Amino acid sequence: MIGRLRNSAAFWAAIGTVALLGFWEAFVRVRDVRKFVLLPPSEIGSTFLDNPGFYVDNIWVTARHLVVGLSIALVVSLAFGALLAAVRPLEHASQPLLVLILVTPWVAYISSIVLWLGRGTPSIVFLVAFVTVPAFVYATVGGMRSADPAARELFASIHASRWEVLWRLRLPSALPSLFTAARFNVGLGLAAAYFAEGAALSTDGLGEAGRRAVAFNEGSILWTTILCTAVLGILSQVAVLLLERSLLHWHASQRRTAR
Amino acid sequence: MSSGHDDGIHAAGVSKRFGSVEALSPLDLSIAPGEIVTLLGPSGCGKTTLLRIVAGLEPLTSGTISVDGLTPVSARELKRFGLVPQSPALLPWRTVEANARLLQDINVDANPSPLPDVVELLDKVGLSEFRSSYPHELSGGMQQRVGLVRAFALGAPYLLMDEPFAALDEITRADMRHLLASLCEPINTGVLFVTHSLAEAVFLSDRVAVLSSRPGRIVGTVDVDLPRPRVPELEDDPAFFAIETELRRLLHSGAGR
Ligand SMILES: Nc1ncnc2c1ncn2[C@@H]1O[C@H](COP(=O)(O)OP(=O)(O)OP(=O)(O)O)[C@@H](O)[C@H]1O
Ligand SMILES: [Mg+2]
Repeated sequence: MIGRLRNSAAFWAAIGTVALLGFWEAFVRVRDVRKFVLLPPSEIGSTFLDNPGFYVDNIWVTARHLVVGLSIALVVSLAFGALLAAVRPLEHASQPLLVLILVTPWVAYISSIVLWLGRGTPSIVFLVAFVTVPAFVYATVGGMRSADPAARELFASIHASRWEVLWRLRLPSALPSLFTAARFNVGLGLAAAYFAEGAALSTDGLGEAGRRAVAFNEGSILWTTILCTAVLGILSQVAVLLLERSLLHWHASQRRTAR
Repeated sequence: MSSGHDDGIHAAGVSKRFGSVEALSPLDLSIAPGEIVTLLGPSGCGKTTLLRIVAGLEPLTSGTISVDGLTPVSARELKRFGLVPQSPALLPWRTVEANARLLQDINVDANPSPLPDVVELLDKVGLSEFRSSYPHELSGGMQQRVGLVRAFALGAPYLLMDEPFAALDEITRADMRHLLASLCEPINTGVLFVTHSLAEAVFLSDRVAVLSSRPGRIVGTVDVDLPRPRVPELEDDPAFFAIETELRRLLHSGAGR
């Protein structure tokens, strides 16, 4: 029993979590850190319990922004990526756009988006989708190109249509890299959603809750919101991981043994 | 299928250049319906190229090819070729059975009816227990057997095989050629088989065409008059060795230039 526990990843993760929380609590108390700078976990817990509905509602709002934004980005990227994978000149031509999206800080242009799309959800979802498109596009193009040449020849030998090659060969071949991109994009998208909520004068969402806490100098609410955002991020990563496990069970990355 | 003088694969004066590289110098080759013909030749002599030209996957530089009176490309569009590539090229996300059905599932309008029974074929090659396994759970020989079933499941009049057993060890290879003979013999399928192995060429073929080193041309054709069905014991027969020796002699005469 003890031996099995010692080998389980979850066991060690739990140990790590407890150690982290203990250190955090002790550090804040011993050093007597100001509330606004860092709040001990125990106080975050009690702030949360003061008004759990508020936090849970805001987590839901932000989760919705994240999921809708990522879904739109994924659909757009699959269509766009499939096109780029098929037409090389177009792939080169689209590089400047993709790199531009990737390197330009959103802080710089969020107010233009809000001016264009209005306050609230449309601007937030747009930003999430916009910033996560490049990674998904790169993953789609790279993954589709990586399809086994021998399998491509096999498809050609019976005159498979473009659509059949795309659906039955290229798309499944792109799944591993798409999941890698998804793990990266979940973090990026959450940051974009949080930031856009605060900037788009949204009425709710964790980002807006955080902005108001700062404006009203509410250190404990701010830190509880931050931790809720972190929890949402962890849950999203776990969701991607579980999906990956079920869809990619055939892939080498999901196997424990060498073959 | 109607029978006439068009039937079978007829290549006449076929040559191929890749830029400045002459891969095939003009050659003639015919495969009658149901005939098993092997291309034997040194590495780089253009065997794969010829196979791909026949399959309509590569345009030729000169010459003509007719497949039951059709061009290679139209024959390909009508799913007349079951391809067995050198690597099994199984799709890792499909089970063994789904992989065996792959060629049936694509371009379905061109499927013959009735289609061969995939389950029965898997049973024949000893994979019935592994129908719902995934490719990574199989040995190399088992994977290549799935590749064979996938081609046979097409019910195509011609099978094109490019060194399908090249990556296997000697013992598995022998088993595979015995298995392949037992799959081919009961059905009337024309086979164009590419190999480096003399034993494979003799055991499987009705006729062996020996190619010279690049640019490939046919240096000789050997009829294999061994009784069918071919049984493994045949490989100990003096007649078997005699044909092997003849092929080896032809190979050497084609390589020295
Ligand atoms: N797509 C291509 N572009 C340029 N040259 C090619 C191409 N395909 C083949 N060749 C050349 O044509 C020649 C014949 O190649 P091919 O693959 O047909 O040989 P092979 O007989 O199948 O050899 P092996 O037994 O090693 O598989 C080689 O010299 C090769 O370099
Ligand atoms: Mg070859």
